[in-house]
Amino acid sequence: MTSENLQGAVRKLMTLDGNSVRNATSKMDLAPRIEGGLAYATDQRHLPGLLHGAILRSTCAHALITRVDTSRALNMPGVHAVIKADDVPGLNRFGIVIRDQPVFCDDRVRYEGDAIAAVAADTPEQARAALDAIEVDYQPLPVVSDASLAEQQTAIHSSHEEHGGSNLLVRETLECGDIDDALSRCTVIAEHHYQTPRQMHVFMETEGGVAIPDGKGGVLFRVGCQSGHRDVEQLADILGVAREKVAVESMATGGAFGGKDELTVQPAAGLLALKTGRPVMIHLDRFESCRAGIKRHPVSVKMTTGCDAAGRLLAHKVEAVLDTGAYASLGPAVLENYLDHATAPLYRIEAYRVSGRLVYTNNGVCGAFRGFGGNQATFAVESQLDELARGLGIEPATLRRINLRSPGDAGSRNQTVRWTAPPADVLAAAVASPLWSRGDTDNGRWLTGTGMAMGAQGNGLGDGLPDSGGGRISLSPAGRICVEFGFTDYGQNIVESITRSVCNGVGCREADVEVVLGSSRGPDSGPTSASRSTVLVHGVLASILPRWMDAVRGHAARVSGQPEKGLEFGPGGIFSDGRQVLSYRELAESTNPGGMTANASQDFPVAPDSEHPVGRYLQLQIATVARVEVDRITGRVRVTDLHHVTAAGPVIYPPGYLGQIEGAAVMGQGMTLTEDMTAHEGRYQADNLDQYLIPTFHDAPLQRVDVLDNTPEDDPYPVRGVGELGIEAVAPAITAAIEAATGVRVRRLPVDPGDLLVAMAAQEQNL
Amino acid sequence: MSDHYPLPETPAQQNISFELNGEAVTRSASDAGTLLDILRESGQITSARPGCRVGRCGACQVLLDGCAVPSCLVMAWQLPGRHVQTVEGLNKDPDFLAVRDALASESALQCGYCTPGFAVSLVAGIRQRRQGSKVDLTECVAGNLCRCTGYGGLRRAIARLAAPGCADEADGRSTSEQEKL
Ligand code: FES
Ligand code: FES
Repeated sequence: MTSENLQGAVRKLMTLDGNSVRNATSKMDLAPRIEGGLAYATDQRHLPGLLHGAILRSTCAHALITRVDTSRALNMPGVHAVIKADDVPGLNRFGIVIRDQPVFCDDRVRYEGDAIAAVAADTPEQARAALDAIEVDYQPLPVVSDASLAEQQTAIHSSHEEHGGSNLLVRETLECGDIDDALSRCTVIAEHHYQTPRQMHVFMETEGGVAIPDGKGGVLFRVGCQSGHRDVEQLADILGVAREKVAVESMATGGAFGGKDELTVQPAAGLLALKTGRPVMIHLDRFESCRAGIKRHPVSVKMTTGCDAAGRLLAHKVEAVLDTGAYASLGPAVLENYLDHATAPLYRIEAYRVSGRLVYTNNGVCGAFRGFGGNQATFAVESQLDELARGLGIEPATLRRINLRSPGDAGSRNQTVRWTAPPADVLAAAVASPLWSRGDTDNGRWLTGTGMAMGAQGNGLGDGLPDSGGGRISLSPAGRICVEFGFTDYGQNIVESITRSVCNGVGCREADVEVVLGSSRGPDSGPTSASRSTVLVHGVLASILPRWMDAVRGHAARVSGQPEKGLEFGPGGIFSDGRQVLSYRELAESTNPGGMTANASQDFPVAPDSEHPVGRYLQLQIATVARVEVDRITGRVRVTDLHHVTAAGPVIYPPGYLGQIEGAAVMGQGMTLTEDMTAHEGRYQADNLDQYLIPTFHDAPLQRVDVLDNTPEDDPYPVRGVGELGIEAVAPAITAAIEAATGVRVRRLPVDPGDLLVAMAAQEQNL
Repeated sequence: MSDHYPLPETPAQQNISFELNGEAVTRSASDAGTLLDILRESGQITSARPGCRVGRCGACQVLLDGCAVPSCLVMAWQLPGRHVQTVEGLNKDPDFLAVRDALASESALQCGYCTPGFAVSLVAGIRQRRQGSKVDLTECVAGNLCRCTGYGGLRRAIARLAAPGCADEADGRSTSEQEKL
């Protein structure tokens, strides 16, 4: 790790690179993951009596169901059960925010992936063959496919039909100051439309897992998920059983990124398990995952932003439409986060009116996805700033410097904000990036350019949502310091980061720590989302460890007969005068099982003083500098380098931090350049990874991450979660770089090479 | 367009004999079955994983007579007499151990679902290079997708594998340079 001073202002800048990774990579064994020894949710073939489930999906984007006949399917070979809407004993609906999605559609289908029935059979082939034997009659309805027109069309949810017949699900406006007055005083105004795509998560392990009946009316779920406790509530209601009857055990999950936050296969698998009395596995193949799975909300937005002659931002007006698809899922929360980010949290703006509408359509279902609406908004906001800078004839960085908030300023929602570094320092470090010195070049075919954008993001679930989380620490019978949280591990390095925190706090070694995650019987930590786990883990450990260590020390003193004062935690056990007096194992043996346990729970920190609790108290920032090459012949864009400057508090586990930023950034690059699940009349146009293209090794840029950590000494919440930060500013950085290379500003993502070529040709003619 | 992927009517089952990780095995498989299905059905091999079943993601990659291939594209009828290796059978193989150590020490994985597939591709590449082929290790993973890491750790691991003195002999190609921004 290297330290350097940049422009004096930056006190602490550390480059995370291969060396920091190698020095810090956990001695905890990654080997089992590489050797194939780690069991994923979809790996559980060895269960005795295992049946395979399959789900019948709609073939229409919008239709009334007039008949469902399962009788032929029931008599197919190997089939043990066929279920449909009237076989749901409890509530035939689910959804994290609004329970508007049927487990099995009864009267109407609202998207092509809607579930109608499910089958359990001895083999996956038999199950799918039985699906073909289920007869469904549809009466097609007009398809609501254009989000901008959705409000004028007949409501796809009858509950909304009663309320005025609209497909408008939520409309929300954030306001500050007098927007009209501010607009009238602007010297330069930029008014543009922006569009971002319906991105697919493409976790490499598609949705799946097993439901195991306990023989007493209960079910255990081992399914890739993000929030065991919340799933238990919904599943108990669907199965029509008490919550105690449902348990969720987390398994290693092959990626989630928000796409496994909502229930996926659990309802069908659970119902089939109860009906057959046997464990049932459902594993969606990629075709079904593409069609039925959650996506990122496409956003179409008009922004009008103005500044005075000195470059001070005066007015900012936003009108956004988010397409949530057939069901709400986390759409209302995504809208709220979109709007928060659309207020341009990094910058002082005299007045804004930021409004958004979340509409139902028949275009699949959209919900949580890393960035959670925020990065869609940041793309447009940062692009607007570049337009204003051009209008004024000043550098984009200069315009930003003029308007960036300083520590101590209120946030854009007038809330107290805790930054981990002054935003101006982040900008200064990005301006000093070595990428700028390479210049914009043209070798006849490839045009190169460099661009930059910034982003801010608050940790936590956001406004008004209950957001607390707990954890537990104990000494296991085997003498390991056992730390339990309800979070799930889907590859975000949470185990390593918890272990590291415990080692730092206790003074033990990694081998002394055991991390247990994701059991609904364990502590409720809330969902594994919104970059909240790192913050909660740190907060819970900070409150729990001193208490627990005191108790253990007292006990060790009694057992060993040594004075408590001289006892210290160390590698492998308790030490006195540098000599081990008791191993953790001996300590564990000297107490009753569970005898040395401490619990803690805490609310996620929110801004203390605002009228109603707004999240975004703990702010993180990023500046991303992108260098691109644009092919003058094909219009293809290659991102060669991404340089990020991050300010998100101290780095707990360097490989995890670096990996999260790098991974999120390449995901953002995918959204910028190739990824879009387009829909035509409610029908998705791609059904597998040969048509829906995510970045490959050769598309991935060289990346560098510089961490700026100026966290004030007295900050009570120094540690922040960086799971989403890396995606925040990538898209506008890339489009700024494309403009530097070609003179063309792209406002619609993903960048269409054909459109780009046409615009480049027009540009050259004008010159 | 059918409403899910097409399936044969009732596929005939037959016994297929091949070598799996050094042992002769006989498995019942349908004509339409793939090597990936056969491996996963046994429950013993979990390192070959479905990600797409159309040959695009590499999560199912195995060695077939020493070549890295997506097992979802190998049909059961192609198997008799062939040698199949998965990472479960490579745990004493020096090339695999070099790959494993490079991936682990460069922290080239997060969820790990894609990782055995990358490892298999790299093992095949290292062996080819040792036999004198001018193979670029980065080309060997062109068919492997990873959604978590952004390929940063993988890039570092490949640079390490291609460095002089490693299991592989460096030939001055791009992979052996420690690229840095
Ligand atoms: S499952 Fe074989 S390549 Fe994707
Ligand atoms: S580590 Fe998750 S897909 Fe590669």
